Amino acid sequence: MVSSIVHAGFALVLAAGLLKGSYDRRALAVVLAVVLLPEADSFLGPIMSGAHRTVGHNFVFPAAAAFLIYYDTRIREESAIRERVADRGVRIAWVALFVHLFAHVSLDWAHLDGVNVLWPLHDSFFRLEGELLWSSADGLVQTFVDIDLNPETGDRRVDAGSTGTTQSVHVNNPVEPDDPETLEGAETIDRRFPVAGRGWRLYLLGLGVFTVVARRLQSDPPAESAE
Amino acid sequence: MAPTLLNAALGALLAAALLGPAFDGRTVAVVVAAAVLPNLDAVASLVVTGATNTLLHNVWIPLVLVGLLYWDTALSERSALRERYGWRGVRTAWVALAGFTAAGVAPDLFGTPGANLLYPLEDAYYVVDGLLLFSTQDGIVQTFVSATAEGPGVLPFESLGTTETHSISTWVNPDGRPDLALGSEREFVVVDAGWQAVVVASALASIAIRFRPWARVRTGDTAEDSATEASR
Repeated sequence: MVSSIVHAGFALVLAAGLLKGSYDRRALAVVLAVVLLPEADSFLGPIMSGAHRTVGHNFVFPAAAAFLIYYDTRIREESAIRERVADRGVRIAWVALFVHLFAHVSLDWAHLDGVNVLWPLHDSFFRLEGELLWSSADGLVQTFVDIDLNPETGDRRVDAGSTGTTQSVHVNNPVEPDDPETLEGAETIDRRFPVAGRGWRLYLLGLGVFTVVARRLQSDPPAESAE
Repeated sequence: MAPTLLNAALGALLAAALLGPAFDGRTVAVVVAAAVLPNLDAVASLVVTGATNTLLHNVWIPLVLVGLLYWDTALSERSALRERYGWRGVRTAWVALAGFTAAGVAPDLFGTPGANLLYPLEDAYYVVDGLLLFSTQDGIVQTFVSATAEGPGVLPFESLGTTETHSISTWVNPDGRPDLALGSEREFVVVDAGWQAVVVASALASIAIRFRPWARVRTGDTAEDSATEASR
């Protein structure tokens, strides 16, 4: 996994940008809890093959959650969320969902073997990796999605970074730091808790800390700007 | 330089996070422009050897600007900035400075090609890249900071070379050396890794949500939002 601390750092930046008037310690705590929660799928690893990066890391559950929040707050006559936690709670719920989608699932999508994008509808891990550039010699070049054209049969094969299924993919995590079969034979188990595995991850972590500290140091707007 | 689109996206995210009641189209544009600004040193590299990631990617410019801004807004009796542009101007100036430093300069430091941090006092490109983790067998492992790093610099980070030895290729200056090289191939990098695509998508989505062009018609929504925002 991209370390949870890096997810949390980027989550803080996004949450600070979207919470508006609801920005406070409690709202940030909710957002951080939502960022940490999906990592619990690591603990399902021992009982379900390939559970990590599958159960908590897909785009199907967030879509379902978005539909539920929308249905509850816009279509139903009385909203259960609004009744319990008022309009502020509705905004925090939307922000938490946004953060889960962009700061957690999407960042993991771009890391190691990626995430199981359409689980439980379709069991296949995908990894987002590549580059997009414009070259004066070759024009627009992108390597995120490979499109192979078989010259003999004319068949087109599209590869959007598929890495395997829950049976073949195991993403290392502190609960299962290696492939389960290798672990059974290992004498000592080295569990590694990453903080930042690359410079850019340290950067996102720092950016989150910077944002929260800057929000604290900012002066309050003067009364006349409230108009 | 890091992809310009990445700098712009990070600038937009900082603008949304920090502008508060001063958030509007013009102030966001100022912050994004400030985040993209450091990349202009690539243009200077056409005449000055190794200007890319050097002239505008050092710590001195942000330090001087922080000093000036702090002096003007907090220490001096009459703030020229506040008199001219009011509270919004002061807030926008601080956030634009954050955009320049954190979204414009910093991304280059945390990956290749590195930034010439202490130029012109010292000439060395630094890059802070490595890993930091806790292992149950090895304890804390970190390779970001190394006191024994080889290279020309005094800071304890990996150094890639000097303006003479380390040339940085950009679309403005493909070979990184002072000549126009009109015939050579140019590459304009939009994003060069998956995570950058994620950051750009996040910034686009955040800005779209903040401006909500589709909700303008329903008046009342926006008025209520800006009232809660301003009450902070």
